[in-house]
Amino acid sequence: MPFDRDRLLLEAQGLTKAFDRNVVLKDVDLTLHAGEVHAIVGENGAGKSTLIKTLGGVHRPEAGKLLLDGQDTVLRSPADAIGRGIVVIHQELSLAPHLSVAENIFLGHFPRTRLGFVDRRRMRSETRSLLQRLNIDIDPQTLAVDLSIAQQQMIEIAKAISFNAKVLILDEPTAVLDESMVDTLFDLIAKLKAEGLGIIFISHHLEEIFRIADTVTVLRDGKLTGVSAVADIDQNWLVSKMIGRDFPEFSAGMRKIGEPALEVKGLTLPGVFEDITFTAHKGEIVGLAGLVGAGRTEVAQAICGVTQPSSGEIRIFGRKVRLRNPKAATRLAMAYVSEDRKALGLLPNRPVRENATISKLSRFRRFGFLRLGKERAYVGEMIRKLDIRLAGMNVEIRTLSGGNQQKVLIGRALAIDPRILIFDEPTRGVDIGAKSEIYAIMEELVSKGICVILISSELEEILRLSDKVVVLRRGRIATTLSRDEASESTIMHAAALAG
Amino acid sequence: MTTAFSSNVASFARIWRRVGVFAALILLIIAASMLSDRFLSVPNLLNILRQVAIVGILAIGMTFVILTKGIDLSVGSLLGISVVLYAGLLENYSMAVAIPLGLGAAMLAGLVNGIGVAFARIPPFIMTLGMLSFARGLAFIYTGGTPIPILNENFYSLGNGYIAGIPIPSLILLAVVAVSAVILSLTPFGRSVYGIGSNEEAARLSGVPVNLYKVIVYVISGLVSGLAGLVYASQLSIGTPIAGQGYELDAIAAVVVGGTSLFGGKGTVAGTFIGTLIIGVLANILNLTGVDPYVQQLFKGALIVVAVYVMSRTDRA
Repeated sequence: MPFDRDRLLLEAQGLTKAFDRNVVLKDVDLTLHAGEVHAIVGENGAGKSTLIKTLGGVHRPEAGKLLLDGQDTVLRSPADAIGRGIVVIHQELSLAPHLSVAENIFLGHFPRTRLGFVDRRRMRSETRSLLQRLNIDIDPQTLAVDLSIAQQQMIEIAKAISFNAKVLILDEPTAVLDESMVDTLFDLIAKLKAEGLGIIFISHHLEEIFRIADTVTVLRDGKLTGVSAVADIDQNWLVSKMIGRDFPEFSAGMRKIGEPALEVKGLTLPGVFEDITFTAHKGEIVGLAGLVGAGRTEVAQAICGVTQPSSGEIRIFGRKVRLRNPKAATRLAMAYVSEDRKALGLLPNRPVRENATISKLSRFRRFGFLRLGKERAYVGEMIRKLDIRLAGMNVEIRTLSGGNQQKVLIGRALAIDPRILIFDEPTRGVDIGAKSEIYAIMEELVSKGICVILISSELEEILRLSDKVVVLRRGRIATTLSRDEASESTIMHAAALAG
Repeated sequence: MTTAFSSNVASFARIWRRVGVFAALILLIIAASMLSDRFLSVPNLLNILRQVAIVGILAIGMTFVILTKGIDLSVGSLLGISVVLYAGLLENYSMAVAIPLGLGAAMLAGLVNGIGVAFARIPPFIMTLGMLSFARGLAFIYTGGTPIPILNENFYSLGNGYIAGIPIPSLILLAVVAVSAVILSLTPFGRSVYGIGSNEEAARLSGVPVNLYKVIVYVISGLVSGLAGLVYASQLSIGTPIAGQGYELDAIAAVVVGGTSLFGGKGTVAGTFIGTLIIGVLANILNLTGVDPYVQQLFKGALIVVAVYVMSRTDRA
């Protein structure tokens, strides 16, 4: 979508911000034109929120200039920024819960009657026309408490418009929204863009940037690492700028695939999944795709002995097996890394060391006792190999970031020396850097001849890593696609539509 | 910055768990020795160690159970049933028969608890509450409600004798503490007990035989109840069916004062031992200074609440 390159709304030059001696924003430039949607991306701690707070008048930069409509400007406070037309919509929404939509929108600038009272009628009618203009279908008299999160967000945006905002800054607006609400929000953004607002948009979801943004700025460690028109780049470019290196080389399609490792035939658990049949080989990554609720996790858990299928057979390296519990799977060198870290993964208040080795304590046992020295050495080596960042192996695992927690749980799975490893949404809730490292770990595992099953809702991930994709739909196999056949459209088609 | 702060608080909580309970005991001992000059004498200290033995032994078993996020309300009754069995069997049989059968009965009851909790999925509170009543009922039925005197001399010395100047009950307690500490920190079973308490489903998924280990934990609790019963029966030389009534609460108190979390996965037997001593020293000094026994109850109650409060403050980070 084009925007007006001649109407520069905001220009930041060399913004630098430090807290104590900690420089969190260093020499960052940014331009925003009328009708432009400008995305800012970066990992946690890259400086995005500091940049927003600087643009929103919360922080004063140590160095650098801010030009609004070409004028050198110093923002003294958030109120000052709002007065100059820069409004930030934060993640935590801040409507007054017991005021109506109209009152919230006009809070701080109520229209008044000649006698000085709040002119309720005008307030309601102006609210109604504002909401109409923005295609927001909400009654102005509704109380804010009765609004959904998505609706609250819309009202915050409408409120910003009522302040005559020229620059709207949205801090991860989609983080709290589900899929359909995102569409509505994006419609609203398109509307504002058409009206000539400049919009700065923060998001962790890279695909959203390609949907909505014109321009993207990438930050890493407080520094600007890339600026580009979105039309000129792809996700790989973004990721490499974000993490400072490229994604690992993906070897899918070129792997040395060996003998069958896991054969599943007619696996059935009535009402959950039916007639699941596929084969995964040594050195192969098999993607299990499908919509949420298609039964992917349930199939994985049945394969790993968490639940018992009622019929069908499982063969591991040619041997027919019946797994009564997860321990039986462990004995056959089959490990499962759960999608639900909190409920099924972490021992939250135990040290990282114990979390990593609980799957295979026998590894460190002699005469019935644990050899703690050997355990420490093993975990130290694991931390180094998986590049887990932590203060020490004895800190409680709940204190780690999502990505590092996940790596510990992968380490736990590796402790059993698996021949078959099932990853269920391995990169959910981890940042992009850890994501790329987890991919690298999976690549290394298959290169060693381990058989990997990858369950993921991210098609990107499935497509990049898998040699073969099994698509589930409502508990049945919709189709099995070779690497050449698999694409976003073939997978989505099979997962959602066909049949 | 916030993470540095919270990790500081978290490490303070860790230090409190390791040292804080111990520091509290030291402070209490200092205070006690200032309040009464009879306190810091070898006979008095040994006396405390002897007095806390029964509840202390129960508390160690209770620690295993609570670490798995369970609770065992039946330990007082299991102590009771073993006591009447020792007394009844010693009327006609030797110690070599009476002791294994008494211990065995308590372990069997623990086994039933464990099976109920692990396999029938009955909440530990309910399962062991049921056992509390059931086992106590058996003790009454077995004795017909009348206490059975114990006349066996050798059995008497178990609870009242000394080895190297130290009361035998205290030695039994110390042995239970030492063996349990080794089991919990140095065996795959002990390590898994912590894992189960921290997140049972995650432990199961990691291949830990969760149900089996939970059963074992309740059997251990039964076994130490029988051991505590041994000390009880021998010290009193009588098998009364009301033996151990309410002891489960004293044992739980010692465990929580010792820093073990009722939410599972956190705590040590060393902590429980110190918790036992804190309660014992407090009772002792209140006795020495002539505080009314009714008022002593108030102190004990307040101690439990304050200790758990302090722990929950430091734990929240």
